[in-house]
Amino acid sequence: MRGFLLILRKDLHAEFRRPESLVSMVFFGFLLLVILNLAIPLGSEISPETGAGILWVAITFSSILGLSRTMSREKENRCIDGLLLSPVSIEALFCAKMAMNFVLMLIAQCSIIPLFFVLYGDSFLQSLPLLVLVVLLANTGFAAIGTLFSAITAGTDRNEALLPLLFYPLVIPLISITVKVSSLIFQGAAPGEYSSWLYVMLAYGCIFTGLGVLLLSHIVRE
Amino acid sequence: MGAFLSVNRLCKDYEGRRALRDVSFVLEKGDFLSLFGPNGAGKSTLLSIVSTLVSPGAGQVEVKGFDLMEEPEQFKKQLGVISHNSLLYNHMTALENLIFYASLYKVKDPGKTALELLRVVELYPRRHSRVGQFSRGMRQRLSIARALVNDPSLLLLDEPFSGLDQYAAAILTEQLAELRDKERTVIMVTHNLERGLNTATKVGILAAGRLVFMESRQDVDRTLFEAAYFKYARGAGPV
Repeated sequence: MRGFLLILRKDLHAEFRRPESLVSMVFFGFLLLVILNLAIPLGSEISPETGAGILWVAITFSSILGLSRTMSREKENRCIDGLLLSPVSIEALFCAKMAMNFVLMLIAQCSIIPLFFVLYGDSFLQSLPLLVLVVLLANTGFAAIGTLFSAITAGTDRNEALLPLLFYPLVIPLISITVKVSSLIFQGAAPGEYSSWLYVMLAYGCIFTGLGVLLLSHIVRE
Repeated sequence: MGAFLSVNRLCKDYEGRRALRDVSFVLEKGDFLSLFGPNGAGKSTLLSIVSTLVSPGAGQVEVKGFDLMEEPEQFKKQLGVISHNSLLYNHMTALENLIFYASLYKVKDPGKTALELLRVVELYPRRHSRVGQFSRGMRQRLSIARALVNDPSLLLLDEPFSGLDQYAAAILTEQLAELRDKERTVIMVTHNLERGLNTATKVGILAAGRLVFMESRQDVDRTLFEAAYFKYARGAGPV
């Protein structure tokens, strides 16, 4: 736990000192929401399905900008070797990096989601408490998969080009479930209609967290 | 005295190329092994395996009788490494880097230890400067401090003098002598025969992945050793 907290604190400190990832994530998310808003005729309402789609396009595409940085930061001066040589367990290392990605996405979403409500109508605002739950579950899956592939691509020269190619195909099922659940929430559906999907999202996050912990030592060594 | 570090029939292949072939040796507590060899002889691979960064293809490394692969976490607490890379974060200050590493090793007072080490490597006045602003020599000095942050009982040094100016090299030589006096076990890979022979209690030559020479320093004649080194370096380039 100590190693986990130390690595997470170090990464947060680095990000807040020079918030490159966070600024680019928020800016890109804003840009996507504004551009997509231009396609909607003035004064017209969008359907819950379209709203959910727009929101998650902005979130998933902006997330990738932060995901690629957490592991590539360790590539500099082979700092990853410094962590592997220390008595910190590989589980703590993976969980710290995953938690960093989770926190980064959450902070970016704290800016992106309010803008979504501003641009696409406050009728969706009543769904906010349940949407927060969906965001937390989706972030767990995105962070686990993103951390795993960020570790794989950090060892390559084309890290930032390669990560989306590996990341998006694997998160498509999670994105489609997330969009489905979000649209049901925007429609005001009863929780019973989508609760099973929430369990699937939770399982998705747990499976990839486990896979990441198991595979990270093989990925970062040699 | 029992073996502190025991390397048994270590082999390693990289994409069909054999980097290490049946390398075996034993070091007792306080031994200082200077390992020489031409480029591509497998010296860095050997250090990477002993440091647990790379898994061996075959063979075994034991520290105080414990298998390195089975109980790496216990072993890592006692290990210090200086490699080709500084393993330092450019965006953090010298002091922050050392405190971070000291905390990872659960050092009792990380702040105090970090400041003491910064004085030793004479970087105390630059403790609040970011590593990204340091020259290569200063980074190397800080890298020495980082490797000593947990007061390691086994120190692995991969070309520690490379890139150091005379001043920094003198600091490192002083530190190595101190480690030898404190009976720390050291493996130093180097091309510098002069420095390697001066500090060692044991000397070895690795050529084409094989440990072709291993003797106690006191049994080795400098001139004959130099002749042997050049013979192996000429005869066996990269595997």
